[in-house]
Amino acid sequence: MSAGATCIELRDLVIRYGEVAAVNGVSFEVARGEHVTLLGPSGCGKTTTLRAIAGLEQPVAGSIAIDGQVMYDAKTRRNVPTEQRGVSMVFQSYAVWPHMTVLGNVAYGLKVRKQGRAEIADKVERALDLVQMRHLADRPASKLSGGQQQRVALARAIAFSPTVVLFDEPLSNLDAKLRAEMRLELRELQRQLGITSVYVTHDQEEALAISDRVIVMNVGVIEQIGTPEEIYNQPRNRFVADFVGSANLIRGHVRESSAGPSTLQFVAEGGHVLEATAAHALRGNETEVAVRTAYIEIGKSNAVNQLPGTVRRRMFHGDFVQYVVDSPVGQMIVRHPPTNLVPEGEKVELSFSPEHCVLLEG
Amino acid sequence: MRPRLNSQGLITLAVLLAVAFLVLLPVLFLVEESLNTGDPMAFPPQQYGLANYLAMFEEDLQVIINTVVIAVVATVMAVLIGFTLAWILTRTNVPGRKKLERLMELPYYMTPLVGALAWAVLASPKSGFFNQIWRWLGGTGDLVNIYSMFGIAWIMALFEGTVAFVMIAAAMKSMDPALEESARVMGASKLRTALTVTLPLVMPGVLGATLFVFAEMLGSFAAALVIGIPARVYVITTAIWDSTLSYPPAYGRASAMGLTLFVVMFAMLTFYRWVVGRGSFATITGKAFRPRLMDMGRMAWLLFGVCALYVFLAVLLPIAALLLTSFQRFATALLGQAQYTLANYELALALGPVRTALANSLMLGLGVATTGVIVMALLVWVIYRSQLAGRGSIEYLVMFPQAVPRLVFGLALLWAWLNMPIPIYGTLWLLALAYFTVMLPLGVRTLAGVVLQIDKSLEECARVCGASWLYQLRTVTLPLLKPGVLAAWLLIFMACVRELGASVFLMGPNAKVIAPSIVSAFASSGIELTAAMALIQTFTVILALLILFRLTRGMTRELT
Repeated sequence: MSAGATCIELRDLVIRYGEVAAVNGVSFEVARGEHVTLLGPSGCGKTTTLRAIAGLEQPVAGSIAIDGQVMYDAKTRRNVPTEQRGVSMVFQSYAVWPHMTVLGNVAYGLKVRKQGRAEIADKVERALDLVQMRHLADRPASKLSGGQQQRVALARAIAFSPTVVLFDEPLSNLDAKLRAEMRLELRELQRQLGITSVYVTHDQEEALAISDRVIVMNVGVIEQIGTPEEIYNQPRNRFVADFVGSANLIRGHVRESSAGPSTLQFVAEGGHVLEATAAHALRGNETEVAVRTAYIEIGKSNAVNQLPGTVRRRMFHGDFVQYVVDSPVGQMIVRHPPTNLVPEGEKVELSFSPEHCVLLEG
Repeated sequence: MRPRLNSQGLITLAVLLAVAFLVLLPVLFLVEESLNTGDPMAFPPQQYGLANYLAMFEEDLQVIINTVVIAVVATVMAVLIGFTLAWILTRTNVPGRKKLERLMELPYYMTPLVGALAWAVLASPKSGFFNQIWRWLGGTGDLVNIYSMFGIAWIMALFEGTVAFVMIAAAMKSMDPALEESARVMGASKLRTALTVTLPLVMPGVLGATLFVFAEMLGSFAAALVIGIPARVYVITTAIWDSTLSYPPAYGRASAMGLTLFVVMFAMLTFYRWVVGRGSFATITGKAFRPRLMDMGRMAWLLFGVCALYVFLAVLLPIAALLLTSFQRFATALLGQAQYTLANYELALALGPVRTALANSLMLGLGVATTGVIVMALLVWVIYRSQLAGRGSIEYLVMFPQAVPRLVFGLALLWAWLNMPIPIYGTLWLLALAYFTVMLPLGVRTLAGVVLQIDKSLEECARVCGASWLYQLRTVTLPLLKPGVLAAWLLIFMACVRELGASVFLMGPNAKVIAPSIVSAFASSGIELTAAMALIQTFTVILALLILFRLTRGMTRELT
């Protein structure tokens, strides 16, 4: 199979817990070697979707295929058991077996596959090297710190060279500093090994940082699929704009005659006219545009989308400064690098380019 | 999908029926017999009526009064002991806190029967050790007399105090110290914080412990049997026992009293569950906090003394008294007059009935613990890990024997199997069946605790790694369960070896077990021989306990 070919394919997947549809018609594809993240608030069905790929949840409708082989199909009633799907998984709780050593944990998948002793030793060593845990190979798994358990879980998941690795919020139990480090390492590892992976997280920063593509989910359905840049720059709807990054939402309507090829005119409540862009074909029911807080300039003059305002509040966050500015289209939140601080009460000019003023689907 | 669902339904139904047969059927027999106003030995009864219940209130009013008075006094003492110890061990910097806490479990393993025998040695009038020393010091008359209502209550409180301690300590441990700290931050004094925050939060736990202990006291038998019968103080359990000894046995009367006791205990335990369930608003979050320990300064050693005194009175002193007695020809605390001998042990081990009773108890313990653990593990799997419909009712049935006093359950089984066409009455088989049934709640709860502790993803991960169900069972599930299964096995084994309440009714001339034999030795032969027998039983249990401690320590190490 060539690079870029489809590796995982989900079609119209539905999973129910009793009467509640936890996953309600989810379809997406993951290409070979791609790193895709399922992002959403808790209860959005992202973990359930992931567990269904592993065969740990049974869907009621739809289909799942891995490497072109049907793993689940509601119509033909095919359901390949978990252990025969050839996928691997890192659990949120790590699920490191406390009654084995680090070595025992990592070798498990290889032993199940009845590989030779030398081969097992070799592969375990390589996996432990990758996560820098070789020196702890003989330690009982119950005597590991959270970060070390995380590494063992990771080594165990990759030791038997699976083509697909599933990650269920693997970093959520680590502290912020360690999480940032592990993020980098995970990305590095994933590139090095060329594995296909599906990753679940509720942390939008994490999702943007480590993914080739992000799938934003909410209440059992997909809200948007795209590269991190697309998700950030062109949020499809209010949910995505709000959940990923921070954005100002401005209510109003599209001026009828304005539908040009690239830009259009948006009349904000109060009459102010903004130049905006739309990533989708206009339907006429759009009522909001989103402007990312990071894309708003202060004090620079711009031909279009210029708003007079007064700084109401200034909050110093260190890496950035957040201003709350009163403007004709309502209160705007603006994030700026902590240089050239503007005092509270100052009159300012806000501006942003039309491509950063994104029309949301109604 | 359909056929699988049906076979699962069949399994559930079979399990339900089997458990109901063991648990509910005897109780139904008891209900019928309690309404029998004709010939008490006739089955089925020729006449029905409420005479047995009415007689209880007319003729046995004193018994009911005794029961309530003793239970109330004993509960107050036990809760006081439990509360004091719990507060000391969870909230103060008493030296050796962790070790002391472990020691508090000991009285529970001592058993009230051994405790009552020991206190009979210590505090009986005239020959009791305390009174011997009192007269040696120049006192006259008796300093203490254990053969009284207060004596019975004292022994019950001493050995039930540890139960109250465990329950109250759990409530105290699960309280977030931030709740108290925020009261202090708001400006409340230490005392005000204790009264307005700590006490209300701990109250449901204390109330729950009080109810639970009171229910246990109502149904307790050992101390009332050993101390109450010589003292002619009858409580309801000994009255039940006594009425089956008359000729003809008054099974109807006994059943009516047994059922009344059962209904009262059941109501108390239901109320207890309601209190604990409702009272969980703030204290019980399932998370163990590390409460801030109060610095007691020099007082800490005083508190240490309080804890040590409890262990001394409930464990060390009784064991020492029994040891001393068992090695003497005539029990005396005045060591100068003592004549030491090994004759009591030789006699205990040489007497045919005692030997067979001990052997029978050990055999029953081994058999019931082994088969019990296997069957109970299956039950636990059905109740907590399967998706079978009706698993809730199985759980309820399995826990039901907990609400039935052992003695009443023994009586129910006696009556049921006297009248069943399968001739196992008077054999070890009936005892085995009875032990299994009364151990159900203990075994299932212990095993469930371990099963629920095992994170499901530990098993799922094995499957994802490519293991089949059997391989996963062998390499992950069973090794993780092993310490818990061993712990459950030992607990059941110990409980079988010291079982008294159900055994007194069910053992026959050819199927004797050890605990009732100790009681009858106490009634008919010397205290010296009885002490030797009690110690032989105790050391068998202690041996099992030592193994248990080793194993559970290993388990907690592995799982944390």
